[in-house]
Amino acid sequence: MLEYAQAKKVLDEYGIRSVESAYVGAADEAVAFSDGDRIVLKLISDKAVHKTKEGLVKLDLKGEDEISAAFRYLEDRGRKLRPYKILAQKMAESGVEIIIGGNTDAQFGRMLLIGLGGIYVETFKDVELRLCPITKADAKNMLESLRSGKVITHGGASTKMVANLLFSVSKLLIEHEEISELDLNPVIVREGSYDVVDIRMIK
Amino acid sequence: MKARYDLRTMLKPKSVAIIGASRNPDKVGHIILQNYLSAGYSGKLYPINPNADEILGLRAYKSVLDIKRDSIDLAVVAIPAELTPQALNDCGKAGIRNVVVVSGGFAEVGNGALQDKLKDICDKYGIAMIGPNCLGLMDTRSRIDTLFLPSYKISRPFIGRVSFVSQSGAVGSTILDIISSEGIGLSKFISYGNAVCVDEVDILEYLMADDETDVIVMYIEGIKRGKEFVEVARKLGKKKPVVILKAGRTDAGVTAAHSHTAALAGNYATQEAIFRQFGFTVAKDLDELLDYAKIFASDPEPKGNRVSIITNGGGTGVLTTDAVASSRSLVLSQLANETRAALAKTMPALVNVTNPLDLAGDADAKRYGDALTAVSADENTDILIVIALFQTPGADSKVAAELVHQKGDMDKPMVVISVGSDYTGLHKKILESGGVPVYESPSAAAKALEALFEYGRFRDRKP
Repeated sequence: MLEYAQAKKVLDEYGIRSVESAYVGAADEAVAFSDGDRIVLKLISDKAVHKTKEGLVKLDLKGEDEISAAFRYLEDRGRKLRPYKILAQKMAESGVEIIIGGNTDAQFGRMLLIGLGGIYVETFKDVELRLCPITKADAKNMLESLRSGKVITHGGASTKMVANLLFSVSKLLIEHEEISELDLNPVIVREGSYDVVDIRMIK
Repeated sequence: MKARYDLRTMLKPKSVAIIGASRNPDKVGHIILQNYLSAGYSGKLYPINPNADEILGLRAYKSVLDIKRDSIDLAVVAIPAELTPQALNDCGKAGIRNVVVVSGGFAEVGNGALQDKLKDICDKYGIAMIGPNCLGLMDTRSRIDTLFLPSYKISRPFIGRVSFVSQSGAVGSTILDIISSEGIGLSKFISYGNAVCVDEVDILEYLMADDETDVIVMYIEGIKRGKEFVEVARKLGKKKPVVILKAGRTDAGVTAAHSHTAALAGNYATQEAIFRQFGFTVAKDLDELLDYAKIFASDPEPKGNRVSIITNGGGTGVLTTDAVASSRSLVLSQLANETRAALAKTMPALVNVTNPLDLAGDADAKRYGDALTAVSADENTDILIVIALFQTPGADSKVAAELVHQKGDMDKPMVVISVGSDYTGLHKKILESGGVPVYESPSAAAKALEALFEYGRFRDRKP
């Protein structure tokens, strides 16, 4: 798996916006990163696949005391999950959580996926798949075909924004042959903006 | 992409050798020869059998190598598996470049080595082979018929513009048997079995260019050449409607994956997504396959999604209204004022002029005709669903004939829903042989119309 910072760089190449983030080695580094904003602390380890379920994500932290306490908690949990790192991210504004992903089919090649994300993705499996590269029309059609399409965007500018995002991810998957699997989960979508909050890029 | 094989010659041969033709009516080779004769194939037929001089009135040859005066466009091989390599070799030496091997007993029963031998011989001589382990080919226009199914056991379809491709012989023969009774006219039938040389990609490529084929209906179990399949599908989807049934929908063999995406993108899901991406209509079972095939075969592309319903049964009208309203893409139309005025003049007082338009149980051919004339011209109607319940006092063969007549004049898609047993079945036949697709349930009709509408939308979509 690509390290978070590297993965973020790949997204940057395609203008795919992900939340501001940095690895922090100590509680005061996390506080400095926050700079007064609400932040999230995540423990990143190959031994922890479902970070949220395992309680390795501390959300909505503000102020020195709260941030330091959360950092120390994760550090403590990390003892059993070595090697690990702690990632600090600016808290994304709330919105609809979706998943955008990529996969490599042995026979057909790169597949692009979108679905209603977060905790819903495994339950409802409301996802749409397309073979890459997709066209702009394919991107729009993916959104229209989702049962939850209207929950994600209401047409107009937002639909175009998510369609463009899908188009960019398709391009990324085609051009980066070394990346065999990709999860952007969740991507938080709001009217007029979005943030990729978590990235898994597998070589 | 240049075609690997010349399937045109294979389907339009001027001369055919039948290796394994036999005087014994129980033998596959006998049935095939008999079928060629029954179908009225007009090319030259050469029965090949080392132990006969004459079969079914035709001079028989010991080997294809003995036919000196003619070149053979197609050889059909119907002999035991272990004798097939020798026969294929003879074909190669005799300059025959198209061969259908109907015989089984190869990779499908674990005999991969024997199958590899066939492949080597084909490669050596540049032979295009269909099979082994298949039913082979049927072309209703050139009247070739390599099927080894006795004609009394299976209805042969009439000439039409739907081509049907089936990897499996069993599914192929079932569908072939049914489509004639469903009013679907056939152009070509290709069952390609183990796909040693000619595979689904070659066949789709050929049918894409074939001007006798308007609709492609396909049953497959696997795709051999993924990248090439995609290349053809990308072009084909925009050109002709393809209805596809892929076996293995519930494949549970998806192993634990690293990411959510990989876990959600299983084998069937991936293939189905690709089919849809290129505009193919995906059927989930044989019933759906036929339902979709039927509508693409007989109805034009709708200009929009607004549906008007004409019925002679109130309840069925309501059920159909529900099916349309709950469909993903269809909506009920609002009849235009002019249409309502026209209907008010021709309909009796008991008919409430609205959508669904309930003509009442005593509706006869004239009332159906008047209603259809008005509604088919309605500017707010893109699609017509006509419910004809033949159990009612007014409905008879004249109604069926009127529906056929109306459909012939119409440039909008129209389907009929008709539910019932023997008497209804008779009228269903009249309707379907007149080019009117008939469905047995509102939901089946709505699903088929939705597929037709969605395909039109796909075809008109800019990239």
